[in-house]
Amino acid sequence: MTLLFVGIGGSLGAVSRFWVGKMMSQKFGADFPWGTFCVNLLGALLLGILSAFDASKNVYLLLGDGFLGAFTTFSSFMYEGFNLFKSSEKLNAFAYVVGTVILGIVGYFAGFGIAKML
Amino acid sequence: MKKYVFIACGGFLGAILRFAVKSVQIPGYSENIPLNTLIINVIGSFLLALILTVAYEVRDMDADIRLGIATGFLGAFTTFSTLCKETVALLKNGEYFSALSYVTVSVVLGLSAAYFGVVLAREAVSKALGRDEEAEEDDEN
Repeated sequence: MTLLFVGIGGSLGAVSRFWVGKMMSQKFGADFPWGTFCVNLLGALLLGILSAFDASKNVYLLLGDGFLGAFTTFSSFMYEGFNLFKSSEKLNAFAYVVGTVILGIVGYFAGFGIAKML
Repeated sequence: MKKYVFIACGGFLGAILRFAVKSVQIPGYSENIPLNTLIINVIGSFLLALILTVAYEVRDMDADIRLGIATGFLGAFTTFSTLCKETVALLKNGEYFSALSYVTVSVVLGLSAAYFGVVLAREAVSKALGRDEEAEEDDEN
């Protein structure tokens, strides 16, 4: 049952990530990986909010380990970062990698803090 | 529509595998840095780069299968939100050096893994192509 919650959340998270990525590249073009950037920051913020609540075990399995774990991604982040470094976009690559990491940590922290205040 | 089914199936399996690997206790490991997530993310980065290089540069991989493996399975297997959560946990404990090391090692190893994935895919391909050419020469003789 535990694995079923994680799996269902994971499949919804992966499809949502794909959908956001598609929307972002249609809107802003594919020069910069806006899709992965946005899902990772949004996902970190939402995991902060979720972690601030004493969610039941199954809710956390579904939304935390499942949905948000799969909605955010590290492999695409690294692959896109590597490709930016390889091209002449060194500054973009640096901004992308460092920006994602710092804003992600700040986002988680902010989500957690805001949810605790409510 | 079919591609969504592939991505969902890949995401289902990827999230479950991540959860299973995360639950493994590594014997003898007592450092602060969360090694399980680090291993998941580095291996996933390597495999994603490998698969996408094969798909884009080598052979026409079926787009649904590519999306299922790359966007679905490996995208869901690796995670960024957990990395942020674990880093904040280290920061809150005052373990600033561990937090900085964790993030830095994740990114440096992740980028290196992506690089090796691309290189390995191309190596394997040029070898396979070399064999094909030899085979053709043999045919001519």
